[in-house]
Amino acid sequence: MQTYAILRRGAWRTPDELQAATARSIELGDKMPDDIRWIRSYVLAERDGELGTVCIYQASSPEAIRLHAYHAGLPVDEIIAVADTVLVRPDPEPVTA
Amino acid sequence: MAAVAAEAAGLLERDSVLGELSDALAEAVARRGRFVLVAGEAGVGKSAAVRAFCAKARGSADVLWGGCDALFTPRPLGPFLDIAEEAGGELATAVNEGAPAVVAALLGLARPGSATIVVVEDVHWADEATLDVLRLLARKLEQAPLLVLATYRDDELDRVHPLRVLLGELATLPQAERLTVPSLSPEAVAELAGSAEVDAGELHRLTGGNPFFVTEVLASGNGTIPPTVTDAVLARAARLSGESRAVLDAVAIVPPEADLWLLEAIAGESMEGLDACLGSGMLRPERAGVAFRHELARLALEASVAPQRKLELHRAALGALGRPPGGAVDVARLAHHAEAAGDADAVLRYAPAAAERAEAVGAHREAAAHYARVLRFGERLSPAERAEFLERRSRACYITDDIDEAIDAVEDALELRRELGQRLEEGESLTWLSTILWCPGRTADSVRAARQAVALLETLPPGRELANAYVHQDWALAERALELAEELSDSELILRIRTIIATRDFANGSEKLEECLELAQAAGITDLAGDASTHLVSRALELHRYDLAARYVDSGLTYFSDRGLELYRFYLLGYRALIELDQGRWDNAAEAAAAVLRIRRASIMPRITGLVVLGLVRARRGDPGHRELLDEAWSLAEPTDELFRMGKTVAARAEVAWLAGDREAVAGITEYPLRLAQEREDRSVLGELGVWRRRAGNGAEVSGAAGPYAAELAGDWREAARQWTQVGCPYEAALALAQADEEKPLWQALTELQRLEARPAAAIVARKLRELGVRVPRGARASTRANAAALTPRELDVLRLLADGAGNATIAERLFLSSRTVEHHVSSILSKLGVRSRGAAVAEAGRLGLLQDP
Repeated sequence: MQTYAILRRGAWRTPDELQAATARSIELGDKMPDDIRWIRSYVLAERDGELGTVCIYQASSPEAIRLHAYHAGLPVDEIIAVADTVLVRPDPEPVTA
Repeated sequence: MAAVAAEAAGLLERDSVLGELSDALAEAVARRGRFVLVAGEAGVGKSAAVRAFCAKARGSADVLWGGCDALFTPRPLGPFLDIAEEAGGELATAVNEGAPAVVAALLGLARPGSATIVVVEDVHWADEATLDVLRLLARKLEQAPLLVLATYRDDELDRVHPLRVLLGELATLPQAERLTVPSLSPEAVAELAGSAEVDAGELHRLTGGNPFFVTEVLASGNGTIPPTVTDAVLARAARLSGESRAVLDAVAIVPPEADLWLLEAIAGESMEGLDACLGSGMLRPERAGVAFRHELARLALEASVAPQRKLELHRAALGALGRPPGGAVDVARLAHHAEAAGDADAVLRYAPAAAERAEAVGAHREAAAHYARVLRFGERLSPAERAEFLERRSRACYITDDIDEAIDAVEDALELRRELGQRLEEGESLTWLSTILWCPGRTADSVRAARQAVALLETLPPGRELANAYVHQDWALAERALELAEELSDSELILRIRTIIATRDFANGSEKLEECLELAQAAGITDLAGDASTHLVSRALELHRYDLAARYVDSGLTYFSDRGLELYRFYLLGYRALIELDQGRWDNAAEAAAAVLRIRRASIMPRITGLVVLGLVRARRGDPGHRELLDEAWSLAEPTDELFRMGKTVAARAEVAWLAGDREAVAGITEYPLRLAQEREDRSVLGELGVWRRRAGNGAEVSGAAGPYAAELAGDWREAARQWTQVGCPYEAALALAQADEEKPLWQALTELQRLEARPAAAIVARKLRELGVRVPRGARASTRANAAALTPRELDVLRLLADGAGNATIAERLFLSSRTVEHHVSSILSKLGVRSRGAAVAEAGRLGLLQDP
């Protein structure tokens, strides 16, 4: 599997919408374990209080990411292949677990 | 070992077993104890399912685990010795006192309100005392919250097995139930195989869906029988008597199943061992005989039979099959045993007949194998006979797309024909060689062979060989060939030549080629049906007649799959991917292309198509991983120097360069192929490449293009877009509109590209709009894709209020905005919808379906 960063910009208007999308994403991801592994996401504070995400996934192909997004009703702005990882410090604690 | 492998298989299709175990546990805790027998064949994953269940239950229940052992003399109370070692206490002393004490100790372990699970594995090997414990325990379960799980192989119980008595008793108890862990379905096997390059259907057939066998074969990955499987199979056989093992040997060498009369003839007196083989579960009864439960077990045993013994068995089988009680002989089986028995005369008698029979029913792969068998014993044949069989093998290999084998065979045949001075046959084989050399992209060699064929055959009296050579050398010679074929009244040859003429002149109408296809199918000329069908689809695609192409892809896939004509099936799969791409169904296109790319074959055309389609889907979406796909396509296409193979690849590379804004690269990529297209008057490639050069601002002095390409090359983007829309190509239509320098068509293009999620092309159009002074939001918001006009959520809110007849002030009030901001939103809405007034905006929004509730 290859690691990818996925941009979903300004996709949600409220934290509740984002939370619902997260639940759908996990549910769908569990159904395709050989093709998709969600690693982590950073939630972006966008204009007008909208929310976006930068998601780190491992996936068998860009098509698998799009298929997962389609079925989970998540937008995809851009998929970028991750060439390498530089870990400096652990991620900050999530605001909500 | 079986358990470990099955765990690697995950818990596919085990939901219902796990669900029933959970129900039983809940029942045991809430009301009274339960006894569950978990049955299934060896390696099916009984232990894996029970382990997974216990692992999940461990938080709320104590788990005690013991197993029976496969010794000729098992340890008395063996599983409870295991449990006592772990649990200690009363049980440790009870195991020295006998079954009643063990039962009392086990019941004593149960505590009200919490659950205890006792697992006893492999009770088909249980000693008498263990069976006693289970029997007593089952009766006393009402008193304690215990869940007893006993696993056993239900394929290994003969009629007098001691476990049968216990099973019979338990069947009458309400607290006992039996669960069967089933074999995997073909779908689950395919899932396990995942992306591994194996044929999942074949794997299911070999293993009978047994997870242990499946995972072992996948892990070994080299097509041989994994040693772990051989060990497991031989260990099972070793527990049988000598007579039974002799029966197994005999059944193993007569696949797929042994009729009883045949088995009697081969195994003789050992037949008495048959019952034990059935009782052990290694064999199962079939309609008129017996067969191995798993093909893989048969292969493992066959490989273990000593060579001399094997020879004897095959001789006996050959003799018996030559005089079957029913009368009709099965030449394919005879050929198989003849070779295995080393009987050259019998091989040469049966194998050619078997090959012909196979060809007659469309089993070309088998036919090729039978011809190979004949040739292995070919030293007894005359050179002319050998050449003949080589040629036949070549044709069978070609149809199944084993091109390298096909080329080797015909080259050997050619050498023999030359030595024999058989010029006519030599010419015919040269023509054939020219056909197959084309498949792996050896175009120059193919052309040379065709020329040699014509040159040679023209020195002989004209006949069908020459006519055939003419059309292979050059489609322009088809009329001359047809004349010759008509003189000879050779109806098959006439149909072949007519097919080529109809393909060549397809632009004047598809009916003639459709008719040739129908005639070829009706006459059962399968390779011609294949050629006609792939030509038809490929020409329909060039002319953008997608309905026609799709119709023949569908019917062709069914026809060729049924007949084992793999070569043509791969072509059509590639074309299906292309149709889906052009019609804007990119998910389907990517899926079809990936399916083609999973097949590794010698013919390069289907692979090129698959690489181009998947590469374009990725490039158009701005996804990574497109470059390596298109590079591979180019590395396959370039050496062929053929537009049929290079055209799509070059166009795709030009498109990628254009999307990246690299105009010089577009010029470099298209220059030579465009010149070639001009020279060879390939209107389709000409138009497509010319358009890419024009879009990139390179000179495109192209003449002779057709359809939408011609319109765009003439600067009429509106007409080009109209034609693309008419044939159902939304991306192409949008790119044509993107050539405009006016706001409305550009917005239309942008909207369509955003709907297709064609990010790079959308960015190009957005930039162009901005250059016209139009305000385009940076990076359309994701949620705006839900609507066809790229309106933002806030703009949609404003639009809905507009539709309600609200004015700026009201809108500002309702949405907590300033009037100036509302004004700004309204003008943005008008520009995106390409209208001038609020009323027109509402009408246009209604038409686009934007006013429905979100």
